[in-house]
Amino acid sequence: MSGYTEGIIILLCINAIAAMGVSLLTGFTGIFSLGHAAYMALGAYTTAILTVQHGIHWLPAILLGGVVAVAVAYFIGVPTLKLMGDYYAIASIGLGEAIRLILENWQSVTRGARGYPGIDPYTTLPVALAFFVVLAAFMFNLINSRFGRACKACRDDYIASSLLGFHTARIRVLSLMISAFYCGVSGALLGGFLSFIQPVMFDMLKSTELTAVVVFGGLGSMSGSILGTAVITLVTELFRPISQYRMLIYGAVLVVIMVLRPEGIMGNREFLSWVKAPFRRRA
Amino acid sequence: MRADLRSPSSIRERGDPSLATLIQQVINGLSLGSVYALIAVGYSLVYSILLFSNFAHGGFLVIGGYICYGTLRAFGTGIWMSGVLALAGAGLAAVLTERLAYRPIRERTNVTLYLLIASMGMSIVIENIFVIVAGGRFRALPPVIPTAPVNLMGLATTSAFDLLSLVSAVVFLGALQLFLSKTRWGLAIRAAAYDLRTAGLMGVNVNLLISIVFFVAGALAAVGGIFLSVRYTLYPQLGAITIKAFVAAVIGGLGSLPGAVVGSLILGLAEMLTAGFISSQMRDLVVFSLLVITLLVKPTGLFGKSVSEKV
Repeated sequence: MSGYTEGIIILLCINAIAAMGVSLLTGFTGIFSLGHAAYMALGAYTTAILTVQHGIHWLPAILLGGVVAVAVAYFIGVPTLKLMGDYYAIASIGLGEAIRLILENWQSVTRGARGYPGIDPYTTLPVALAFFVVLAAFMFNLINSRFGRACKACRDDYIASSLLGFHTARIRVLSLMISAFYCGVSGALLGGFLSFIQPVMFDMLKSTELTAVVVFGGLGSMSGSILGTAVITLVTELFRPISQYRMLIYGAVLVVIMVLRPEGIMGNREFLSWVKAPFRRRA
Repeated sequence: MRADLRSPSSIRERGDPSLATLIQQVINGLSLGSVYALIAVGYSLVYSILLFSNFAHGGFLVIGGYICYGTLRAFGTGIWMSGVLALAGAGLAAVLTERLAYRPIRERTNVTLYLLIASMGMSIVIENIFVIVAGGRFRALPPVIPTAPVNLMGLATTSAFDLLSLVSAVVFLGALQLFLSKTRWGLAIRAAAYDLRTAGLMGVNVNLLISIVFFVAGALAAVGGIFLSVRYTLYPQLGAITIKAFVAAVIGGLGSLPGAVVGSLILGLAEMLTAGFISSQMRDLVVFSLLVITLLVKPTGLFGKSVSEKV
């Protein structure tokens, strides 16, 4: 396998991990976030600092990166998830930008806006694939578990589900924390893949992209999110020669999808349900 | 760090230097806040009718700025002519955006999330059209708006530009207020903000009304865009500054026009006082912490109506 193909597969795994996290939050719990790149940044910086300056092995460092993202998500989520709809979306932009600004200005720890070089290239193909498979298996089980069904109940009717006895506030915060873990791990892997991170990599455009991929794949479909990631990542690679028009096309695609097929590629269905459908007995 | 933010003349000031700085930063803050207000009011107006955050609003601002720049450079028209063209152009672009991207979604579903994502897409499209057509360079408007220092009764020195942007914001916001309170369409818009569906049932042409709202919002954003491109410079990503106008609208209460104005002024003052007395790197952090504090203390903002959910 050539280095180029290998790089694309690693990138696919990294993007898909982040997309699964955002999918749980946006597609399954109905919380729209525009600041999730900040959790990637937290994971990436924690892991970079731990491995480079403290010489910790990359595996615990990646997991710790995820844990730091979870901790921050908890302190952000408890007060702000009281907000609904557009209020939370705007608050998440503010929080995401604030975290990026702190990383940019905290020179002594993060080396500021010029970025953090010299990270060990620990994200090899087997490592990225292993992380993807383990996290995907966990996520697909999670969305069909009691917790996953509670998330969907919160999404579909917040009031009805709280009347049925679901602790909706706790479910929303927990969903944010799990999605922050996925984004943190994804950011940590990205740092190991590029050997270099910079606060500007995790700006609002990246957050928009994370949410856009999930919407493109279909809200409420985990396999759709992974498929959406694959399509967007590959299309981005295809358009690299005409990179000038890349973002224009990307924005136009978002609009066209919303106009023509707002439910996304998969729209509330999982991939397996298509495979199984012909064999199911009609009720 | 602090000195470069003052105009040089204020350092030569005889009187109490900190008082002079304070007055000057307050004027700067009000001036910046009034520009935010022009943007936030349009955004809030759209929110009050369609209940979604129009992220393409920053694009209208950039369109206005570039039309002003282009006509000034290419045809040598005066600032009045260019200003009118910029307002009309940005307004039409806003109407066109609504027709192309939002109306098909609006007619099919009432899920505002889809509108939100479409508006994000439109904002990326508009930004990158300018990256391709005009290039990513920073451009300065020709010196059509006076920026000479003005002395205020010996108390402080400020630039004519700051006073001018403050005055024009007051004029435009006053005109908007008159339009909303005195005309038939203003009445219809207020009714639609209360309940769009019922307004439609009462015989208001909803599609025309939404077009008018978008035109007004786009034109106000263009005014803000012209002043911002004089204050900073003009570049395709200038629209990102609308985040601050969104924050201002949230602080004031989403969908409330007086709230948007008050929130913008608070934000402008906070930003300039931070830049003047603490450090200019902290100003964005102060903006976002104000947002978080507002959301924690009073999530509906200063003037927001708290909507209780019907069960």
